[in-house]
Formats: sequence, structure tokens, C-alpha cells
Amino acid sequence: MSKLLSITAAAVMVSCQALFAGNVPESSDPIKVTIQDWTGQHFSTHVAAGLLKQMGYGVEIVVSDAITQHPALASGNINLSTEVWTNNVGDLYDGLVDKGDIVVVGELGLSPKEGWIYPPYMEERCPGLPNYKALYECAQAFGSAETFPKGRLITYPASWGTRSRDMVASIEMPFEPIPGGSEGAMVAELKSALSAEEPVIMMFWQPHWIFASYDFNWVEWNPTDERCVEESQQKETACGFEQAKVQKVVSKGFEEKWPAAYKMFKAMQLTNADENAAILEVDEKGRKVEVVAAEWIAENKSIWQNWMN
Amino acid sequence: MRSAILEKKTLIWIGIILITITFLIFKEELDWLTQYPKELIIPFSDWINFLMDKFIYKFGWLFLNVSWFLSWPINAAQWFLHSLPWVVVIFLVTIVAYLSVGLRLALFTLCATFYMVLIGYWEESMNTLSLVIISVPMAVLIGFGLGVWGYFSKRAEKIIMPILDIFQTVPTFAYLLPILLLFGFGTVVGLIASILYSFPPMVRNTILGLRRVPENIIESAIMSGADAKQLFWQAMLPSCKKQILLGVNQSTMAAFSMVIIAAIIGGTADIGWEVLYYIRKAEVGQSLVVGLVIALMAIIIDRITSGFAIKSDQAKRGRGLQKNTKINYLNFAVLGCVILFILSRFFALLDDWPYNLSAWLAVHINDLFDAFVESFRSEIKLIKNFTLFFIMLPTKIGFQQAVSPFTWGFQLETIHKILYFACFLITSLLFLKNKKSEFFVFTLLLMIFMYVGLTEMPWPALLIIYSFFSWQIGGYKLALGTFFGLTFIVVVGMWPEAMISVYICGIAVVFCFIIGTSLGVWAAHNTIVSVILRPINDTLQTIPLFVILIPFVMLFKIGDFTALLAIIIYAIVPSIRYAEHGIRNLPSEVIEASKMMGATTMQIVFLVKVPLAMPIIMLGLNQTIMYGIAMLVIAALIGTNGLEQIVFIGLTDGNMGKGFVAGISMAIIAMIVDRITKTISEKRSEALGFKIK
Repeated sequence: MSKLLSITAAAVMVSCQALFAGNVPESSDPIKVTIQDWTGQHFSTHVAAGLLKQMGYGVEIVVSDAITQHPALASGNINLSTEVWTNNVGDLYDGLVDKGDIVVVGELGLSPKEGWIYPPYMEERCPGLPNYKALYECAQAFGSAETFPKGRLITYPASWGTRSRDMVASIEMPFEPIPGGSEGAMVAELKSALSAEEPVIMMFWQPHWIFASYDFNWVEWNPTDERCVEESQQKETACGFEQAKVQKVVSKGFEEKWPAAYKMFKAMQLTNADENAAILEVDEKGRKVEVVAAEWIAENKSIWQNWMN
Repeated sequence: MRSAILEKKTLIWIGIILITITFLIFKEELDWLTQYPKELIIPFSDWINFLMDKFIYKFGWLFLNVSWFLSWPINAAQWFLHSLPWVVVIFLVTIVAYLSVGLRLALFTLCATFYMVLIGYWEESMNTLSLVIISVPMAVLIGFGLGVWGYFSKRAEKIIMPILDIFQTVPTFAYLLPILLLFGFGTVVGLIASILYSFPPMVRNTILGLRRVPENIIESAIMSGADAKQLFWQAMLPSCKKQILLGVNQSTMAAFSMVIIAAIIGGTADIGWEVLYYIRKAEVGQSLVVGLVIALMAIIIDRITSGFAIKSDQAKRGRGLQKNTKINYLNFAVLGCVILFILSRFFALLDDWPYNLSAWLAVHINDLFDAFVESFRSEIKLIKNFTLFFIMLPTKIGFQQAVSPFTWGFQLETIHKILYFACFLITSLLFLKNKKSEFFVFTLLLMIFMYVGLTEMPWPALLIIYSFFSWQIGGYKLALGTFFGLTFIVVVGMWPEAMISVYICGIAVVFCFIIGTSLGVWAAHNTIVSVILRPINDTLQTIPLFVILIPFVMLFKIGDFTALLAIIIYAIVPSIRYAEHGIRNLPSEVIEASKMMGATTMQIVFLVKVPLAMPIIMLGLNQTIMYGIAMLVIAALIGTNGLEQIVFIGLTDGNMGKGFVAGISMAIIAMIVDRITKTISEKRSEALGFKIK
């Protein structure tokens, strides 16, 4: 499979080489692009990598973790990351950005959504949903043996911060927040609850492939124009969660070393629709993400050509 | 009057119990009893972070160079293994397996390696293998060197041994981040982590082997005029070859498990990474199909290396391979490789397998699993609630809070409380009357523990109880160790989390010990049970730990109970193995004697065999606890709240100091329990009058 890919990549490369007859690549060092552990990120990474290859750069794909990428970026072991979710970065990231060791290029264009999701059948057991106020009345519909008489709320793994816990505490909701541990455990919990129509409510995020395979509704909060801070909300005026940004970042000195690559990456934009379509192909139809990304590149020439000029 | 009847230690225990009760009474008034004051927490983690920053600033370049240097052999190994067609690799491994053990292992190896090809994970398997084959020789060299040094210098041994303890008990997650910060990013991190984790068994086995060299060999070598060098290389080393090869075997297995864990920080597209990918998607089938590859690889390598260790023993007795046959085999191997290599140039199939059966297999496993869940849903729920209500909650928060209409069906009234305390008090007094003062103390403590709950106990009381218990088992040294170790956990502010870890691990260990030992005893008497258990044990021990987690979450949901089960599944294996081993290797004269005295089978088992095998069974308990603690860290991935979660947060949040302090705290608990169980085991075997190996 990988051989086939490299052949197609090479073919595309040759056809595009003509576009960049100039001094690109400016350096023969490969650009190290990091790939992490969720499919959406795989897609955006392969798109970026594919485009950089077309421009004539050497690209090396390095696997890393959402957090471990930061020290690696700062030390130059990784040069480029397509998706840094600002809600999930830890203190390390802010410090490194302040010091200038990681350079934020801009936003990728995704509009992520985070909040509490539940399966549609819960609306029968808890009328009043999707409004969050309904949860005060029917916490027990979401209850379990361990949390009784409170409801059971699965939150993000402890290492992703404690926003749901803060919120439950500040608006005094009768729910017991239980950390989900890891993405796999959370998805397993959702799958198992759905198969038996058991109650479940969970902090989750979009874009995510699970929305391509199953139906979920989002708990709705009061709209707000100001910044929505989780830990200082009131029961009556709760506004939910501050929505994350998805940033594109590069290592220090990237712009000087590979100016054309920097310009392209700065212009690069992907939408939720792009990622969701790709995620569906990969996770539901079982296709390789490399192939899906190559297809996207082949089909959206008019879009990415603008990024390069 | 009473003090004359009671021993001194029982009196002290009564004192301690009184203090505990006083603490409990004043719990409400004095906050610091339940929660160590935040202002007094020593910010160790900040210090570590600060020092590490400075250190990296000063010496970071050095480590980066080492890392660059180390990346060469890995790249070379990867390149080599990838450029060989899979037929050639399979052929070579099969021959090695045949040479090491024989036809059966060769057949197994052939099937297992072909499975890796069949499911389409050959490349990833080779990435994992290349990490292992580079890290093991390095770990073996380092371990051997340190072992020899430790053997010749008492002072060196004093320094080396505690370091080994630390490397083996600090959860592996805790030192991944420091390595990452120092050595930069990439495959090298996995390599270094696996070297650090796998050299300790080599050191231990080297020292043990050298110590066991018979006196007469050394003497005769000296008498025949050997100088120091000859004595070591030509006399001592050959005679402890078996032990050293056992060390190699253990190092290899350790390297394997670490390579998989290291996948979590990324850096290599190996099998561990693939397994993690499917686990994140909660794909039970796929993660099992891929995880099995690792189990198979580990089993093959284990059998091959231990096979060579046994062979070397036989060779000494003149039953080894002749030189001639060796050359024949070598020729055969080379010839076969060349032919297969040429063939693979003509048939692409032999080089790059185009099919991928993993998806097909996975679908079937998923269907099976779903059917299972569907048909046993209510039973699963019943088991879970029963354990949760009647065992886990009472241990964690005590009857005081665990008993409610929702869980036990009634509210805890004064009458229940009186009954509860009356029962316990009467039992304990009965014990006292029969001069069983240990049981007397135990019942009283149990009464308090179960009423209050482990996590609600005031920490000063627990500190005193644990320390005094250690003093009783192992004297003042152990008591001091326990006291200072636990105090460390208190002053870094991680006591509540530590108690949650202890609670889950403790229940799991009790379960494992009871059920595992029973299974082991059964297996020792029944060959069929033994034959069935063995491959199950092998798989449980070698499959990547996180593979077990996902099916468990699907069955039992996120929470403590699932973590408990995952730990039990993994930690039960040593209990089974040691019990079986202990009973099978009892001196036959004793059993013959008891048979002659007319004992029934049951009497022999429970009154003769089990007590005699107790020292070894206790070692099994020791290993069960160690395995339980190791698995606990992995259980953080399904949302527990103990120390393991802090270790994990430290890793994923990039807060090295925090993770490291939590890791050290876990290591402290592990070491205390290790010393206590080992001391008990030694005392038992001394009392029985024989030495355990």
C-alpha cells in the first residue's frame, strides 16, 4: 500500500514541480511533521505533508502525543503541527509560546465544538432536554449504582483539565463527574451504552468520527456574547464551555529556513466539512488516511493553489 | 492484672487502636487529621521541574548528541529488517527456534510469524523487533558490567541495588517524560526507556550467577595457575552461563513490555502505536488482533532465549550440539536464505504480502463479543453491583457511608451500628481469651477500617499502624523505612491519592491471591488444568496491557470496578504460577511420609503441601502485588483517581516533577510491601528449615 502511495505521490510531485521552479526547497533538511492520535489530525497532517512534498520539500512524518509534541517542537525535533487544540495544551505550551520556542502561525479553520452529549433516547426519559436546566430535575435518570442519588457525568480524562468538574461545582448540578480516562475508554462507554439504550451523558468534542456513525444531541446553554468561563457560572445564566481554537504551529526559525513552506502553511485552511468527510471515509469505510488525503489534494487543486501563491 | 497476661506488643497495639479512635473522634474538629494542610506541602515537584530546566539548559546538547548517535543502529536495524523479504526473516527465526528448543517450537514460530504477515502488520512488527534487538544487547552489556562490578565490590553493590529497585518499581510512565525532555523526540526515547527498564534483571542474574559458582571450581582454577583474568573468563563465567542467559531472557521480556508502553509517547510507527490507535477508537476486535502479534513475538523470543539457557546447561554435560552439526545448520540457513531471497525477487508475494486479514478477523471477534455482552447483560450488572456495594464501597468509604437504601436496601440505624460493633468486639475478645493476640488485634483493626473506610482514615493513625506493623514483621529498619517512606507521601500532599491506589490494588491482590493460589494448587494436582492454564497465563502476561482495558470498559463501564478487574486479570498470573511451582517442587519424602501416616488427599493438600509451599506462595503474593501496581498505572487510562492518575497526568500534561513525585510515591509503596512480604516469606522458610531458591 505504501509503495502504491509513494508512486502516486511521486507522479503528482513531478507534475507540480514545474510550478515551483524557483529556489524551493530552500533547505534540503526534511520538514518533520507530527502525526498524533486522532483521525481528523491524521487527515490535516497528511494534507499538509502532501502539499509540502509537492512543493519539493522533504517531509518526515513523526508520531507524537498531543502534549509530548510541545517539547519536541521547542527543540526542533518536530517542525510543524497542524492541530494544537488550545483547550488541551497544559502549561507547557503557553510557556513555550511565550518564550518564542513555538511559533503560532494562525488558526486552521476548524470550528470545534465541545460540550455535553447524550443519545436521543434520553430525551424521553428526561423531557426538557436539550436545555441544561432539565438536568437538575432528572439527574437520577442518568444515575448509576456508584453515583446514586446523583447523576453520572463522564468528563474528559483528568489530564485534559477539569472544566466539567468546575462547571458542575459552580452551578451546583446534582451530577458526579467521573474522569473518562482516555478517548478509547470514553468511546467504549458510549458504544456500550448505545447498544443497550442505557443512560449516558458525556463531555465530548467535534469534529470526531463518532458523530458520523451514531446520533447524539448536545446539551444547550444560555447564549452569551462575552467570554464564557467555566468555573464562575451561575445556575441561572450558565453559558456552557469556552470553545477551543485549533492552531497551526511551527518550530522556532521555521519561517527563515523554509519561507515558502511557511507561507503555504499560513494560508492553509480546512473546514469541519473537510475533516468530517475524511473521518467518515477512514473510520467507517476502513480506508487508509493517506489515500483519503491524497484524494482530497487531487480534487481540490483550485483551493490549495491559492495557498501557494 | 491484665498486663501480666498480655504481651508487650499487644499492649502497644491496644494503645495504637485507642489513639486511632481518638483521632477519629476529633476528626471533625481537627482538619489536618484527614487532610494534610496545603501550606505545609513541600513543593518537590516544582523543585524537580526547576532543576530539570536548568539541567537541560546546561547539558541538553550532550544528551541530544547521544540521542543522535543512538539513532544510527536503530535506523540500520529497521532498514535491514525492512529490506529482507518476510519469507527470509520467517525462515531464519524458525531455524533459530528449531535449534533452541526443537520441532514443536519451530512449528509454533512458523505459524505465529506467518500470522503477522497474514494480518498485514509485518512492517510494524519489524519496527518493534528492531527496537528490541538493539536495546537488548545494550541492556545486557550494561547489566552484565554492573553485575560483575557489584559482585567484586561490596560498596558498588550497595549503590547498585537500590537503583535497581527504583528502576523496577517507579512506574514506567513516570520516567518517559524526563527521557523525552533530555533525549529529544523519536525512536531513541523508546530505546532508552526500554534499556533502563530491562537492564536490572540482567544485573541481578549476573550477581546471583557469579555467587553460585561452586567453590571447588574457583579453587581448582587457582591451583592450576590461572591469573585473575583467566579465572573470571574461563572458569567462573562458563559455570554460571545458565543464570546469565536467564538474565538475558528476563531482560528481553522487560524490553518488550517497555517498547510497547513507550509507544504512548509516540516516536515510532510500531505495533504498540497501532494497538493504541485502535484502543483510542475502542475497536475491540482490531486491538486484540494486533495486540496478539506482540504476545506471539514475546512468547517466541521468551522460548528461544530460555531454550538456549537450558541448552547451555546440557552442553556442559556433553549433550550439546557437535561442532559438525553446527556448521551444517549454518550452511543450511545461509543456503535457505539465499534461495528464498532469490525466489522473492520473482514472486512479489513473498516480499510484500498484499492481503490484510485483520479487518475480517476483527469483525468476527466484535460480533462474538457483542453477542456475549448481549446475552449476559443482566448477569454482568449483578456481579458488578454486588462487588461494588458489598466489597469495594465499604473498603473505600466504610460501612458508615456505603450502607444506604439504594445499595444495601436499608439505612444504617443505631441498632445496626450497635450490632456491628458488638459482633466484632465479642469475636475479638474470644480470640483474646484463646491467647490469639494477633487475631484479637486484627479483628479490632478490621472493625475500625471497615466502619470508617480506608480513604477516610486519619493519615497519622495509618502512619502509626503501618509503621508498627512493619516493626513487628521486620524490626526497626523496616519500620523506619516504612515510616519515612509514607511520611514522604504525606508531605508531598499525595496521601489521599495514595490511599485510593492502595484500596483498588489491595482488593485486587486479595482476590488474586485467593483465587490464583487455589487455581495453582489445583493445577499442581491436575495436568489438564495445568495444560489449559499455561497458554492463558502466557498470553495474559505478554499481551500489551491496554488491550485488556477496552473490552472491560465495554462490559463494565468506566470506573473503579473495571480498573479492579483489569488489575486482577493481569496480577493473578504470578499467584497461579508460584503456587503450582511451589507445590510441584516439594520434597517427595515429606509427602510419602504423610501418606504412610494415613492422611487423606485433602489432608495432604491442606495440612502438608500448602503449608510447606507457603514461602514460595508468599513470593507469588509478592509478585502479584508488584504486577498489580504495574497494572494500576495502566488502569489510569480508564479513569481511576489514585496516584497512577497523577503519574499519567504528569506525563500527558508535560509536568515532569508532578508525575515523577507520584511515581516515586508508588515506588515507595511497592518497596515497602515488597520488603514486608519477602520478610514474611523468609521467616516462614526459616521456620520450616529449608531455603527457597
